[in-house]
Formats: sequence, structure tokens, C-alpha cells
Amino acid sequence: MLDIKNLSVEFNDLNGRVKALTNINIHIEQGEIVGIVGESGSGKSVTALSILGLLDENAHISNGSIIYHDQNLLEMNVKDIQALRGKKIGMVFQEPMTALHPTMNIGQQLIEVIRQHKKVSKKEAYRLAIEALKDVHIHHPEKVAKQYPFELSGGMRQRVVIALAMSNPPELLIADEPTTALDVTIQSEILNLMKELNQKKSVSVLLITHDLGVVSQLCDRTIVMYAGQIVETGLTYDVLHFPKHPYTEALLNSLPDLKQQDQLLEAIPGEVPDLRYPPMGCPFHSRCKQAMTICREHDPKLDICEGNHYVACWLRRDEA
Amino acid sequence: MTPLVQINHINKIYGKRKAVIQAIKDISLPIYEGETLGLVGESGSGKSTLGKLLIGLEPPTSGDISYRNNLLWKKKRFMRPSPGEIQTVFQDPQSSLDPRMRVKQIILEPLNALPDQERKVKGSLERLHTLVKRVGLKIEHLERYPHEFSGGQRQRIAIARALVTEPSFIVLDEPTSALDVSVQAQVLNLLKELKQENQLTYLFISHNMSVIRYMCDRMAVMYKGEIVEIGETKSILNNPKHDYTKMLLSSMLKVN
Repeated sequence: MLDIKNLSVEFNDLNGRVKALTNINIHIEQGEIVGIVGESGSGKSVTALSILGLLDENAHISNGSIIYHDQNLLEMNVKDIQALRGKKIGMVFQEPMTALHPTMNIGQQLIEVIRQHKKVSKKEAYRLAIEALKDVHIHHPEKVAKQYPFELSGGMRQRVVIALAMSNPPELLIADEPTTALDVTIQSEILNLMKELNQKKSVSVLLITHDLGVVSQLCDRTIVMYAGQIVETGLTYDVLHFPKHPYTEALLNSLPDLKQQDQLLEAIPGEVPDLRYPPMGCPFHSRCKQAMTICREHDPKLDICEGNHYVACWLRRDEA
Repeated sequence: MTPLVQINHINKIYGKRKAVIQAIKDISLPIYEGETLGLVGESGSGKSTLGKLLIGLEPPTSGDISYRNNLLWKKKRFMRPSPGEIQTVFQDPQSSLDPRMRVKQIILEPLNALPDQERKVKGSLERLHTLVKRVGLKIEHLERYPHEFSGGQRQRIAIARALVTEPSFIVLDEPTSALDVSVQAQVLNLLKELKQENQLTYLFISHNMSVIRYMCDRMAVMYKGEIVEIGETKSILNNPKHDYTKMLLSSMLKVN
């Protein structure tokens, strides 16, 4: 359904060019939940924004295409993209307070979005709005419709944002850190809700997160990004249980979840490289315990290693 | 074991007349010398408020807190034990470091509260350099400004600032919540090592159960201003008694 091919994005910064994405390939099938995990600056949000055509003006797409149902989103004009956004492709952002209009009540906001894409009367739109609030398990939809964002808790706001995204049921929902600002108990409710909407309405979901726990709970497939590149991708179970890339492995080992108190965490030494000056070779080589000479000189391409499991690492190549 | 800090029946009420919020409801607990006590709870449960009462940012409405058997608050006045004895590290290293100060000034600033003699000893160049290296920064970093550092490095600066006065007790309020996991691991390891080396006592505030489990000897669960459960971390995690604790544990996402 969605096919991103060789996408590269650069930002023009005061100090030069930042290579935010290098040669990204992602495809998403109907009804699938795909997770992108990565740390800050890995390019996961830039990927989402490129699909939606929401990149800042200083961004420059230097290569690639984003094919959605035989159309290249990168070549579409603004009007056509706007017609897709919110109708075929919905979005949910991290901070529900800034995603909602502060001086419109919830009902008005839903009605506005519904009427943007559907030719219905206000009354019918209101009915659909209440329906949408029910779908996200809001118990008193009529009451909430009259409330303003500041009157709602974080979890309720995020439900409303999801209701907005789902009010014209999209084919693809892009969720950028949808639960990061929420408490854990609320987080698991929102994740369950997204899973349910995925199953009931067969919406595909592209979930962007820094939290490996979130992908393990929700996603069929997982993409691991580092420094603007995909370093590993495969079925979530395979990636989390049998990681092939040293970065994925190190990330899992740095979690406090499974450690005893007397064990030190295996922190990844050093920091993410500065993408204004991308390093030669593999982007992870300077922090990799198993780095070899070839890793410093040549960038390993993403390559198949088993079934649907792909990894970009020289350790997994015979020729190295 | 003697408690380093003893909290007795404290209440904290914000607001006046009708618009009041009781952030803390009748909390009593000891914090023992040398332990790490975890404080876990959702946003608005009062865990940061409790931290503020201990470091002197907010007076309790009623009840008392003693530190080494001396009262910390007399009416609205904070009776600072000795300056720099209690320190703190906040969540957001972006906003907790003055953007117009160099790292060196930031780290040395807490010493301004000390008597001249002590300040000279603790603020010596040699000691400063040892400290900066210990938290994983470089000496050349001292002349730079906070914006030149990543989140993890900024948190190391905040930790150095907390340690410069040689405190006994540090309140850590979500010290790694704003950091990436790989960097979080570095900072948690550092905090653990520093505690051992300097015989520190920590109050570790966090909403992250796995972090609490890894860092803390004992833990307290807060819910709507009350402590609903307190005890050894292991026994609470293995055998939670309160419904809210059970709910918290069941919403933890497991990677494997």
C-alpha cells in the first residue's frame, strides 16, 4: 500500500547540511502495524513527516520516492496532499495539547475535520463526531464534545486526537510517539485502543517510538533506525529476541528491565554521530564493540539475512 | 538502622478556599542512611511535591520533617542543615542549567553558600578537575555553555553540580526521563557508582518501574497524594498488595 524507496532527506542548517535520512526503504501492507524505533535524531520523525508532506521549508528531499497506491506523494501538489491527509492518511502526534485547538470545543473540532472530507450536514457531522468519540471508548461523548482541551486529562486528550484521526477512517494511521507523554497505565489503554482500531477497521499503522516495550506490545514488524539509516528490520519477535545488528543488541542490553541490582547496565559508550558530518563507513562503528576495519571505511547496505529479517552490518556478511 | 530523614504526617495543600488541591495527604516515612528509596506514581500523584518539601522549595502545610533529628521546616522557614548537605538533580537538563553561565560557573555555584574556608577547599581546581572527569566530562568542557552539550552530558553537568558540595542526601527527580535509553543506562550506572563511592542516600523519583526496580532498595508507591504501599522493592514487585500497585505493574510493557 505504501512504499518508500531510497528516500534521502537533507536539512539546510546555518552550519551546513544535515543528512537526516539516507536511503530509506519501507513498505507497509494493508492492515499491518509497523514500528519504527530509534533514539533522538535517528530520523524516525522525519520519515513520518516526509510521508505527510509536512517537512519544514529548509528540508530538501535529495532522492527517492514515496509511492502510495501508484501515486508518488513527493510529486503531488499541495492540494492533493491535503485531500489525502486526514482522509486516507491520518496522524497522531506526541503532545495532545498542542495537537488540539485550545479555544474550540472537542465537538467543533471533530465536526470541522469530518466536514472537511465529507459532504454532510452539521447535524450528521455531529452524529459522526459522537460516534468517533464512542469508538475511542469515551464514556460520555455528548459531555466531552462540549468540553475544551484544557478541561481534559492527557489520556483523554490523546483519545480525542485519535478520534479526530479516525473520524474519516484512514487507510494508514501515522502515530508519532502517541503515548510518550502519558502515564503507563494510560499508555497501555491507548495502545490497546490502537490495536483494536487496527483490527476492527483494518487500518494500517506506522508507529514511531523510542520505546522498545511499545513496539513489542503492538507491532507486527519493527524497523530500527540509527543516524538516519535503517540498520535492522524484521518481524518484531525476531528483531527483539534475535537481534542481528550490534546497535539493536546494545539497545536491548541497555534497558534496566532485565538486570539485577548488582549488575551494571551495558550502556552504549559515546553518542549519536553529528549528522552534519556523517562518519565514513557504518554510522555505528565508533560505538560498536565489534567494529572491524571495513566498518570504518565502507557503509554496509541493508541486506537480507534470514527470511524477512534484514540487517545492515558487515558482521553478517560473508564478503567481510 | 537510623533514619537520615524522617517524614511525619505531612500534608501539602495548594490554593485557597474553594480552589484547593491536596497534593500530599498525611504522609509519614523514613529514609534510611545509605539507601536508595524509590518514589513511583503517575503524574499529579504528588511525588515531585514531596521532593520539593525535602529540598526546601515548598513548605509543608502541616506535619514535620526531620533530617538527622533536626527539623527541616520551622513554620514556613527552611532550616538548611549545612549548606550543600542536601542536593538535587532535576528531570530536564535543558531548563535546569543557566544558559548564560559556563559549565565551570554552573558546577561551582552551589559553593557560594559555603563559608570562605570550605569554599576554597571544595572549589580547588584540582578537585574540580577530578569531579568533572569522574562524571564523564572533559576538562575542556568547563569553559563551554550548556547549549553545546547533548542531553546526557547536561545531566552529567547537573550531577557534578550536585556533588560539588559533598552532600549526604540527593533528591533525584526523574533524572533520566528526558534521556534516550542508551544514555539513560550511562547515567544510571554513574549514579549507582557515585552512591557507592561517596556513601550517598538517594530519594529517586520516577514513573518508570523498571528504573525503580533496578535502582532502589526500597520503594514507595504514591497515588493521589497518598502512599499506598511502601516496602522492599523486591517484595513489592513480587507480591504487590495494593490494587493501584498491581495495576501499575500490569501496565508495564515487557520487551521480552
